[in-house]
Amino acid sequence: MADNKIYWSGLEELDRTPEFERIESEEFPAERPVDQFLSDDRLQRANTGRRDFLKFMGFSVTAATLAACETPVVKSIPYTNKPEEITPGVANYYASTYYDGHDFVNVLVKTREGRPIFVKSNTETGYGRANARVNASVLGLYDSARLKAPQLNGEATDWATLDGAVQKGLSGAGRKVLLTGTVMSPSRQRAIAELAEATGVEHVQCDAVSYGAVVAAAEQDFGRRVFPSYQFANAKTVVSLNADFLGTWGDTVWYTGEWAKTRRPENGEMSRLHAFESGMSLTGSNADSRTRVKPSQQGNVAAALLNEINGQGHAAGLDEAVLAAVQSAASDLKAAGANGLVVSGDNDLATQCIVNAINQAIGAVGTTVEINEKASLHQGDDAAYAQLVKDMQAGRVSALLVDGINPAYHGADSEGFKAGLEKVAFSVSTALCADETASRCTAIAPNHHWLEGWNDLQIDPNRIDLAQPTIQPLYDTRHATQSLLAWAGQSVDAYTYIRQTHNTAYTAEAMYTDQDWNTGVHNGFLAVAAPEKEAPTYSGSALSSALAEVKSRKGGGFELALYRKTAMGDGQQAANPMLQETPDPITKTTWDNYVTMARPDMEAMGLNTYIAQEDPASMVRVTVGDRSIELPAFPQPGQTPGTVSIALGYGRGADGEAIGRAAFQVGEDGEHLTDADGGLVPIGANAFPLATLRNGAPDYNAYDVTVEATGTSYPLACTQIQHTYMGRDSVVKETTLGGYLAEADAERGKASWNKTIGLNVHDDINGDGEINALDKKAAGEFDLWHEHAVDGVGHRWGMAIDLTSCIGCSACVTACHIENNVPVVGKDEVRRHRDMHWMRIDRFYASDWDKERGVEEGLGVISTYGKMEEPGANPQTVHMPMMCQHCNHAPCETVCPVAATTHSNEGVNQMTYNRCIGTRYCANNCPFKVRRFNWFHYPGYDKFQHFNPAQDAIQRMVLNPDVVVRSRGVMEKCSLCVQRTQSAKLEAKKAGAPLEDGSVQTACSEACPTNAITFGDLNDTNSEVSATYDNNRTYHALEEVGIQPNVAYLTKVRNTPNS
Amino acid sequence: MQQEAAIREPLILGNKSYKDITNDVVGPIQGEAPLGWKIMITITGIIAFYGIGCILYLIGTGIGVWGLNKTVGWAWDITNFVWWVGIGHAGTLISAVLLLFRQKWRMAINRSAEAMTIFAVIMAAVFPGIHMGRIWVSYWVLPLPNQFGSLWVNFNSPLLWDVFAISTYFSVSLVFWYIGLIPDFATIRDRMTKPLQKKVYSILSFGWSGRAKHWTRFEEVSLVLAGIATPLVFSVHSIVSMDFATSVIPGWHTTIFPPYFVSGAVFSGFAMVQTLLLIMRKTMKLEAYIHTKHVEYMNIVIIVTGSIVGVAYLTELFISWYSGVEYESYAFINRFSGPYSASYWAMMTCNVISPQLFWIKKIRRSLIATFILSIVVNIGMWFERYVIIVTSLHRDFDPSSWGEFHATSIDVGIFIGTLGIFFTLFLLFARFFPVLALNELKSILKSSGDEHKRLQSEGKSNH
Repeated sequence: MADNKIYWSGLEELDRTPEFERIESEEFPAERPVDQFLSDDRLQRANTGRRDFLKFMGFSVTAATLAACETPVVKSIPYTNKPEEITPGVANYYASTYYDGHDFVNVLVKTREGRPIFVKSNTETGYGRANARVNASVLGLYDSARLKAPQLNGEATDWATLDGAVQKGLSGAGRKVLLTGTVMSPSRQRAIAELAEATGVEHVQCDAVSYGAVVAAAEQDFGRRVFPSYQFANAKTVVSLNADFLGTWGDTVWYTGEWAKTRRPENGEMSRLHAFESGMSLTGSNADSRTRVKPSQQGNVAAALLNEINGQGHAAGLDEAVLAAVQSAASDLKAAGANGLVVSGDNDLATQCIVNAINQAIGAVGTTVEINEKASLHQGDDAAYAQLVKDMQAGRVSALLVDGINPAYHGADSEGFKAGLEKVAFSVSTALCADETASRCTAIAPNHHWLEGWNDLQIDPNRIDLAQPTIQPLYDTRHATQSLLAWAGQSVDAYTYIRQTHNTAYTAEAMYTDQDWNTGVHNGFLAVAAPEKEAPTYSGSALSSALAEVKSRKGGGFELALYRKTAMGDGQQAANPMLQETPDPITKTTWDNYVTMARPDMEAMGLNTYIAQEDPASMVRVTVGDRSIELPAFPQPGQTPGTVSIALGYGRGADGEAIGRAAFQVGEDGEHLTDADGGLVPIGANAFPLATLRNGAPDYNAYDVTVEATGTSYPLACTQIQHTYMGRDSVVKETTLGGYLAEADAERGKASWNKTIGLNVHDDINGDGEINALDKKAAGEFDLWHEHAVDGVGHRWGMAIDLTSCIGCSACVTACHIENNVPVVGKDEVRRHRDMHWMRIDRFYASDWDKERGVEEGLGVISTYGKMEEPGANPQTVHMPMMCQHCNHAPCETVCPVAATTHSNEGVNQMTYNRCIGTRYCANNCPFKVRRFNWFHYPGYDKFQHFNPAQDAIQRMVLNPDVVVRSRGVMEKCSLCVQRTQSAKLEAKKAGAPLEDGSVQTACSEACPTNAITFGDLNDTNSEVSATYDNNRTYHALEEVGIQPNVAYLTKVRNTPNS
Repeated sequence: MQQEAAIREPLILGNKSYKDITNDVVGPIQGEAPLGWKIMITITGIIAFYGIGCILYLIGTGIGVWGLNKTVGWAWDITNFVWWVGIGHAGTLISAVLLLFRQKWRMAINRSAEAMTIFAVIMAAVFPGIHMGRIWVSYWVLPLPNQFGSLWVNFNSPLLWDVFAISTYFSVSLVFWYIGLIPDFATIRDRMTKPLQKKVYSILSFGWSGRAKHWTRFEEVSLVLAGIATPLVFSVHSIVSMDFATSVIPGWHTTIFPPYFVSGAVFSGFAMVQTLLLIMRKTMKLEAYIHTKHVEYMNIVIIVTGSIVGVAYLTELFISWYSGVEYESYAFINRFSGPYSASYWAMMTCNVISPQLFWIKKIRRSLIATFILSIVVNIGMWFERYVIIVTSLHRDFDPSSWGEFHATSIDVGIFIGTLGIFFTLFLLFARFFPVLALNELKSILKSSGDEHKRLQSEGKSNH
C-alpha cells in the first residue's frame, strides 16, 4: 500500500499540466538572465527621467531619515520567576523603624518594583510621626557618594582583608575604644559587649548634639541617667525655655503629635504654650506667649519661675517685661498643677536642675515628665568623650572604632579630635560615605543604609521596634552589628544575631515559622514585658548651687544661641538636596545657614536688612573666644536684641570630603565652586566649634561674643520676602481662645472671627426699603460661570487645613516633594523665586501696625502700608500651608488657550502636562500663585547636575513611577495626589465596595504630624473632611474672588494669656 | 477735481510736477544705495542678529534665561508684545480711518505708516511665540482638526482671541498695504531699465496697466478694505487688553482697558510714525511732501490720544479708591509708591505730561521737539505696559507670594533685537519700495499743491 502513495502539492502537479511542467523544469535555473535584462534595448530606452530620479532619491532620503528618527528602544526584562509579593505597578509597604541617633520613629516604607521610594509614619501601630528629615532620608539610600566597598588606607579592599586589619589594629597596646552615638539596639548592645569581652574595647557614647546636661540633671535629681519622657498630651501649660520641642529638640517626632492633641479648640480648652527664647524657633513661633530673653538670662528665667511657684528661686537679672511674662507663665503653671510642664533646651546643668525643681514643685513628675518611662535617648557621655579626645591627643589610644557618628564634624572640639585621630594607630569607621571622620580613619567598613538592613531598636520598654530591609544592599556594604561581631571573632550574620537576641533558641530552620516574629515584622514591633515602674525620688540637692550659678551669669555685648534648623537637624543629611531646598519654617531661607539678628542691631551696624533676589545679605564675623566664623546676617523678627543665633548642621565637607555632590556650593552655571586651593566650597559654615563647654557638656549658648561686619555680602535664597499678611484677613483668619469660645456655637460664616465676606449689590438685600452700602450678598452666591456638576455626583475631593494645628514643621513639604517628583532647583533658582514646591508653608508675622493705627496716628495710607510690611519686634506667627486650592471656578482654567488645565468631574483642577504649551497665563491669573513653571529642563540641564536627583543615574531610582517627570516649558502644581486617588478608586472597584473614607490620603495629609490636614471625599457626607467643612471655623481663602476652592482653612485660634 | 480752500496750508510744497513726484519717489530706488543707508542697515542688522541669537538661546535653553519667576510670569515678553502691537495701530488708522474720512494729508504718510504696521505686527507676533515654554507646539493654539483625541482650543481664553485678532489684523493690513503698492510698483516697473529689476517689479505689480477700470477697482477695493480694517483698529487692541481685563488680578481686572488700550496704541503708533518719518523725510529728501503741516496734524492726534490715556490713568486711580476693594486700591497705591514706582512716574511723565507740550504751537510745529517727544512718548508707552504687567503681578492677592522681577541680559537683548529687526525691515522698505503713495499724491497735486494754491490765490488756474 505504502508504495502506491503519491504525494502532490496541487492539482496542477497531479494533472501534470504543461504550464506546471515548464515551471518545474525551470525550478533551478542555471543562471539568472541578468545580462539579458541589462542588455535589453527597451530598458536602455526606458525613460527614467530627472523627475523619477529625484522622486526615488527623495523617497530614499526620507525613508532613511525616518528610520533614523525611531524612538530609542528601552529594553526591560520581565521577571522569569515573578516574586509572589511583587506585582509591577503595585506598591508594597513594609513596616520599619528609623533611628539616626536623634529621631526615633516607626515608619512604613513604600517600595515599587523592589525600590524603596517613600517613607511615611506608621500611624497604626507606630511610635512618633515622621518629620521632614525622616521623609527625605530615603534619598540618602541612593546617594552616589556612598562607599561601594570597604576601604583600607583610602583604597577599596575586601571584607576579609579589612577584618584582618581591624583585628590586627585591635591587638595593640593602649586604650581601644568604640565610639558610637546612643545605641538603641539591644542586638548592637549585645554585640558591643561581646566585642568588649573578646578584644577589650571600651564603649563610649557621644551624641552629635549633646543632651548631656538634661541626662546629668536627671541623674543628679532623680538618680536615673535617662532623658526624661515628656508627655505633652497631658500638659495644660507648657513653658519652653529655649526648647524647640516642635522642631528639633528632644524626641520631636513624638512630641508634635502629642502636643497637637491638646490644641483643639473644639474641646473647649487648649493647652497654653509660653516660650522664652532668644532666636525665633519653630516652637516660639507657635507659642501663645513668646518672650525674648538672652541666653545668659535663661537660667534666671527658670529661677524666677521657681520663685513664683514656691519661693525657692530668685527674681534677679531680669527686666520687668520678662518678669511679667514669667509671672503669667507661673500662674498658668500653678493653675495646671501636675498638668504643667517646663522644658529647657539649654544643655546647661544648672538650668536643667532648676527646671527639674519646677516640675517637681508643680507635681508634674509622673504626669507630664516621666523619668523612666522609656529606654533612653541621648545617652552620650560628654566627659568620657572629652577624656577620649585627651587620650587620643596624648597617644594613649591605639585603636578607635567609630560607629554612627561623625565627631570630626560635630564635636565641640572637632579640631582636637582630628589632631588626636592622627595619633591613633588604627581607626575604623562604619560610615556610609567617607565623611569628615571616616575619611581620616585607617579603614572604613561601610554600614548598610537603614533601608537595607535588619535592626532591632527599643525606645519603649513595652516593645522592640524592628527595622527590616526593603532592598538588597546596593553596594558591598555590611551591617555594622555584623562588622562588630566579625571583629570580635564571630562569623554570624546580623539577621541571625538579631533573631537570637530575642529568641536564644533561634535556628535557621525557624526563619519563617515563628509567628510572633512574623507578626512583629508585619507590625514593625515585638511586644515585650516591661519591667515594673518605680516612682523616682527627687533629691534637689544641687538646687541652691545651680541657683547661685545662674544668678552670677553675665552677658557680654552680644550673646549667641546655636540652634538646629527643622529641615537640616544636626547636618548628617547635608548632602540631601531636598532637605537643603526645604525652606526653613521660620526664615523661609534655603541652602544656607546664617546669623539671625534683631533688626535694630543690624541697623546699628549698617547691615542690609532687606534680603531679596538682588539684595544680598551682609556678611558678619561672629567670634567666640578664639574661634570665629563668617556668615551672612539675616534680620529675624522676634530675635532678642543683643543676641545672634546660628544654625548647626552646615559647613559639612569643609575639607572637600566626599559626602555627596549636593553638599557643596554650585555656581550659576551649575559647576561646583572652588576655593583658592581648588577645594569644594561647603554650604554654610560649621557652628559646632562655637559651642562652649560648661560643666563638661557642650552648651550651645555663648554669653559673650563679638559680631562685626566684614564689609562683604552674600546672596541668600528665600522663598518668601513679604513677611506680613498686610491685614488681609480673607487670607488668614485668627482669633483667641476666649474669642472663639464666646461664639463657639455660631453658625459657619456668622462668628466675628469667621464672617462670610459680603459684596455690595444694587438690590435691597436686607429688606430695609433702601438700597445702600448695607445691602450685601455673600461672596459665594455670586456666580459668573456654570456650576460644575460635582456636588453629590461621584467623588469630590476636598481638603481642610486647620491653622490652629499646623505648626509649620514642613514634613508635608518634603513628603509632597518626594511623592510628586518635584524638581530640586538649587539655590540660585530659589533666589530668583523659582522654587518648585507644590506645597509651601506661608509664614506670616503680625505687624505692630494696621490701618486703624495709621488713621489714629495720622499717618497717610502709603506710610501705613509701608509700616504694615514690617513685622513687629516680637511678632505672633501664622503658618499657613498653601498649595493649589482646586477652585471650582478656577481662574487658571478659563485662560489657558489650549485647555491644558481643566476641572475634573471629581472637583480637582488638573494639569495636563503634555497639552501645556507654557504661556504661564494660568500662573499669572492664580490668586495664590501656586503654579510652578518648568523654567529649564531640570532632569537634564547642566545647571542642576550636582543636586537634581533626576540627573543622577542612581538617585533617579527614588522617583515615583506613578508621577511623570515634567519636561521643560510646562506648568505644574498640586494634583491632590491624583495618582493616589485613582489607585484607591481602582482598589475599591476591585473590592466591589464603596471607597472608604481615609483609605486614600494625599502625601501632605498623611505626613502631617499634628493632623492639621484632612483629605477626603466631600460628597461622602460621613467623611471626616465633610464634617470639617461644617465646622464654624472653616473658611475659603480669598473667598471674595469667587473662585470657590475645594481646599478650606480653619481659623487659627491662639490661647493667648488674658484673652 | 475737488477744490480746496486757498487758506488751507498746501500739502505738497514747491512747484512740483507729476514727473517730479515720480522722480522723487522712484529716484532713490533706481540709484545706488547711499552710504548712510549702508551704514545704518549694517548697524541694525548686527543688532537684529544679536536679537536672533538671544531668541535661539532662549528657545534652546528655556524661559528661565529671562528674569521671570513664580510670581511674575510675564514681564518684558508681553510688555514688548503689547508695545509693538500698539505701534502697529497708527498705520491702519492712517490708511483706513483717515481714508474713510477723506483726510488728504494721510497720502504722504500712509505708505510708510502701513509698512511700519506690518513690521511692528511681525515683531509683536514674535513675543507670544517665544514666550511659550514649548514653542514647538505653538500651533496647538490654532483650532486645527487633530488626532490628539478630542482636543480643541479653549474659546474662553483671551490668548486665543489674541491669536485670531492678531492674525486677522496682520493679514488685512498686509493686503491693504499691498493693494496700495500695486500702482506704484507699476510706475517703478515702467521706469526700470535693468531686466532683473524690471522683472521683479513687474511681478510685484500684478500686471497693472493703469487703465481706468483698474483704477476704479483699485478705489473700490481700497474702500472695502478700509471698511474692514477700521473695526480692526479698535478690535485688536481691545482684545489684547482683554488678556488683562478678563483676569482676576488687581490692576488687570479693569473694564476701562479696551478704550484705554486703543487710544494708547494710536498714541504710541503716531509717535513711532513721527520718529520714522522725521528721519526719512530728511535722508530721502521728501521735505516737500512730509512737512510741518503733516507733523502738526499728527501731533494733534497725539495730544488727543495722550489726553485720553491720561484721563484713563486718573480714572483707574479713582476707581481703585472708589471700589473700596482692598486688593484693588493696594495695587494702585503700590504702583505709584511701591518698588516699581519709578516706572509708574516715568510712564506718567512721558505719556501724560510730555504730550501736553504740543498745545504750544511752536513746539507742535517744531520738527526737533516733535522728534524728541515722539521718542519720549514711546518710552512712556513701553513703561505703561511694564507697569500694568509687572507691578500688578508682583504684589497681588496673597502677600506670601509677593516677589520681584529683575530683567536679565536676554530680556533686554531680545527687545533690542526686535528693534534691530524692525529697523532693518524698515530700511529695506525704504530702499526698495515706494515710500510715498506716489500715484495717490499725484491726485492732490492740483488741489493741495503749493503752486496750485499760489495760482489759486492769484485767481488763476493751472488746470
